[in-house]
Amino acid sequence: MNLLLALLRIGLGGTFLYAAVTKLPDMAAFAESVANYRLVPPSLVPAVAAVVIGVEIALGALLVSGRLARGAALVGTGILAIFTVGLSQALLRGIDLRCGCFGGTESATWATVLRDGGMLAVAIVLLVRGPGRLLPERTGTRDRPRDASAATEG
Amino acid sequence: MRTLAEAAIIVAAGALLGLAGNAASPRPAALAQPVHSAAESGTGMCAVPGAAPAARVPRIQVEEAKGLCDACKAGFADARGASEFAAGHVTNAVHLPPAGHPEEAISIAALRAYPMVIVYDGDYTCALADEVAHRLLREGLPDVRVLEGAWPAWSAAGGAGTSGFCPSCHDPGEVHR
Repeated sequence: MNLLLALLRIGLGGTFLYAAVTKLPDMAAFAESVANYRLVPPSLVPAVAAVVIGVEIALGALLVSGRLARGAALVGTGILAIFTVGLSQALLRGIDLRCGCFGGTESATWATVLRDGGMLAVAIVLLVRGPGRLLPERTGTRDRPRDASAATEG
Repeated sequence: MRTLAEAAIIVAAGALLGLAGNAASPRPAALAQPVHSAAESGTGMCAVPGAAPAARVPRIQVEEAKGLCDACKAGFADARGASEFAAGHVTNAVHLPPAGHPEEAISIAALRAYPMVIVYDGDYTCALADEVAHRLLREGLPDVRVLEGAWPAWSAAGGAGTSGFCPSCHDPGEVHR
């Protein structure tokens, strides 16, 4: 389970990093994508666009490295919930827009909502169950009293 | 509580990182400049300066439009600029930019021969095709649609296309916008 959680964490972090890196070269275009969701006042759109990308970079780095992972999972849950609601409301209102997810001109569709929903589920799992571990804990740590069992067996 | 504190730190650090990243971006977002949605403001790449945003005209998917094109059941109107039209357009499409051109009446008369008219522009988020479609509806054309995905979707789907300036665009250097 620990390994699975760690893989989910690294996968989610990598996705956030990739999303940020693809948008950084053209922040103005991403700001236009944010504006097209019609959720943010126009005067705040450029700042929100910049903050979203910065938070994605921070989340990506922290989730991949496993540092402050629970806090990162909480922020990830929040940001992905906003993305999912933002996309859904745009589609329900009949707004034809680019999703702005990974740069480029990918259109927002219900498949995009599903993808964001999947990432949101991963973030919630990480928040609830913890970040997991890629490698088994070392002998002698408090969570796995292997010394005691080894002594009994020996 | 600790998780909340971590989250607050991450958001604050992320905000600073984002502002720094924006400053370093080759094409940064202008922080002091409001950004309006293309549909609401009419400031999208295809918008006509000063024009009010147009309401959404019913859309038609590329695949359906291709079938109608191949069967000569629909006329096409290209709402982009003259140079874009010249670079490539739907075969037999008439050039009909929102700002009009000298022989627009001839173009509209040609479209009356079809039971349906499909208008397209260069970007699916812009209101240019909607504006032209509204004008055609006001002219009394019965069934006017806007092509979903615009010219990029049409060409990507392998729709019939050709190039060259429209006959009404007397000066090839002139951009009818």
